[in-house]
This record gives sequence, C-alpha cells and structure tokens, in this order.
Amino acid sequence: MKLKDTFLIHESQGEKILIDASGENFSGFVRTNPTSAFIIGCLQEDTTEEKIADMMLERYEDATKEVVMKDIAKIVEKLKSIGAIDE
Amino acid sequence: MRIIVTKKYKIADKVFEMTTFYEYTHKMCADYKTDLPADHSIIISSDDIEKEQVISEKTHLKEKGRCYHFEDDYIESLAVYRKMSEILLFEDTILFHGSVIAVDGKAFLFTAKSGTGKSTHTANWRKLFGERAVMINDDKPLIRITDKEAVVYGTPWDGKHHLNTNTSVPLKAVCVLTRSETNHIEKISVKDCYNILLQQTYRPKNPSMMAEVLKLIDRFSEKTELYRLGCNMDVSSAEVAYNGMKG
Repeated sequence: MKLKDTFLIHESQGEKILIDASGENFSGFVRTNPTSAFIIGCLQEDTTEEKIADMMLERYEDATKEVVMKDIAKIVEKLKSIGAIDE
Repeated sequence: MRIIVTKKYKIADKVFEMTTFYEYTHKMCADYKTDLPADHSIIISSDDIEKEQVISEKTHLKEKGRCYHFEDDYIESLAVYRKMSEILLFEDTILFHGSVIAVDGKAFLFTAKSGTGKSTHTANWRKLFGERAVMINDDKPLIRITDKEAVVYGTPWDGKHHLNTNTSVPLKAVCVLTRSETNHIEKISVKDCYNILLQQTYRPKNPSMMAEVLKLIDRFSEKTELYRLGCNMDVSSAEVAYNGMKG
C-alpha cells in the first residue's frame, strides 16, 4: 500500500499536515503528531504495515511491536477512510 | 454567438492576452484593458468550457442542492480566471475568496463561507466611511505576497454586486467573519484559522501547483494580521471591526 500521489505532506507552523490536492476525496486537511507523521512519511513509498512497524521499532527503542502495530493500524484505517491509500 | 476575440488586460500588475469565444469576459474586464506587451497568454478551448461547466454544475448541486446549467459565455469567464490564477501562482499570487475594502490606503479582507454576510459587512464600512472607503473586490481578489508585504489587487471577478476597483493596496489584515448578536473582534493565530485560509484559497487540482499554493499561504499568513470578528448587521459592526484592526 502507498499514499496516493495527490496527497501532499506540507509543513506549516512546525506541524506536518496532509492535504488532498485533487480535492475529490477529501477537502480538509489532517493534522499529525510525530508518530502519525512518521507513518505517513513511510507510506510515500509502497510498503506494508509490518515494514512500517520494523522501521518504527528501530527508531523508538523502548516501544513494543504490539503497541506500534496498533498505532499503525489506527492511522492506516483513518487514511483509508479519507481515500488517501492506494492498496 | 461564438466569435473569436483577443484583447489584452493588466490584472495584478501582469498583462494577459486573452483569446475567448465570447465577448462576456472582455466586457467584464473593460476597466483593465491595456496596450502594453503581454506577459502571459490565455487561450480558451471548447474543452475548457465543457470542463468548467461540469465543475460549476457540481458546485451548484453541492451548495444549493439542485441542478443548474449556466450560460457558456459566463462559464468561459470562470475558465479564464482559473487559468489566470494558475499562471499567477508562479508570480507569488493567490486567488482568495473574500470581500476587501480599503480605508486610508490600508486594505482589510473579510472571509467566511458564502452566505455569512461578508458583502453586508463591507457595505456597512461604506456607510460608515463614505468616500474614505474603496471597495477593492467583493468576492475573488488576487493577493501578491512580496518579501515585504501582502498586496491585494482589484479584479473584474467581483461577485454578484459587481464591486471592484482597478487598484492595488497593501493588505493590513485578514478577518474571519462570524455572525454574532453583539460585535466583538479578537486577534487570532495562524493555527486558529489555517483551515479557513486553506478553504478560501483557490486550490488547483494539480499536486505540484497545490504545493506552490501551500507555500504561498504560509508566506501570506506571516505578512498579514489575522482577526476573528463576531458581528451583527448594524453599521456599528464596521466601527468595531475598524477600531480593532486599524492598529
């Protein structure tokens, strides 16, 4: 899966936001926290939830795989709900 | 009747040579006519008009809940403005939805969703200030962001009351207008109104152009003051707004 090409990640006021340039799926924008920004960043290339989890575990040493997988699933679900993911 | 018309107009300090099928756009732009050499050229095709018609029908259905077919000459004028605003993105200029009025050489832009009362509010400014107030544009002004400031330009795409002046004025403030029983105004941060700035700026469908727009919105929000006004329909609302923003 991968973030759709029309979705842009833009940094404004020290915060990363996600915007649908096509305006067709979703006309607002998504605010992020560092975790969701990292996950969205990984999705700019074709990847899997498993691969993202491995990347997060490298980054956050004291996190457990279970917690990380849950975070990823939650964010991926949200992104799918706004039509931001190509399966 | 379809003919082919080519004329030049100076809008937002750039000269556009416009080639259209109908006179409508040229009549609209008459105040902006020029003989200077063109910086950019806009040529409308049948395909542009068809696409614009589809967009307008969709928007009308979404906003008013019913279907409507617009006249092609009017639709062509929208297609011209769409092309112009996409060209102007690369001249540090955005198209922003709002009613702009200037007093003593400083411009104030009121923005809100359609039907909130932007035009009613700026009409109150004209009642309060008389000839001191100049309507720059009542609907879709262009804003150029320079290193120093944001400058707002009058354009012929000016809303249903047709209020515009062929001039440019430094933009002092952007004010988000909301309805309220009593009049009050507060300064707000970019974060407080970022979603509104985004919604009210013309958004091209092309992702690389949209990335330009996002950069310009950031620069724009740094070069202007931001306020939120709660206002009723009284003339006193204009006084409260002006006193809150004149600085």
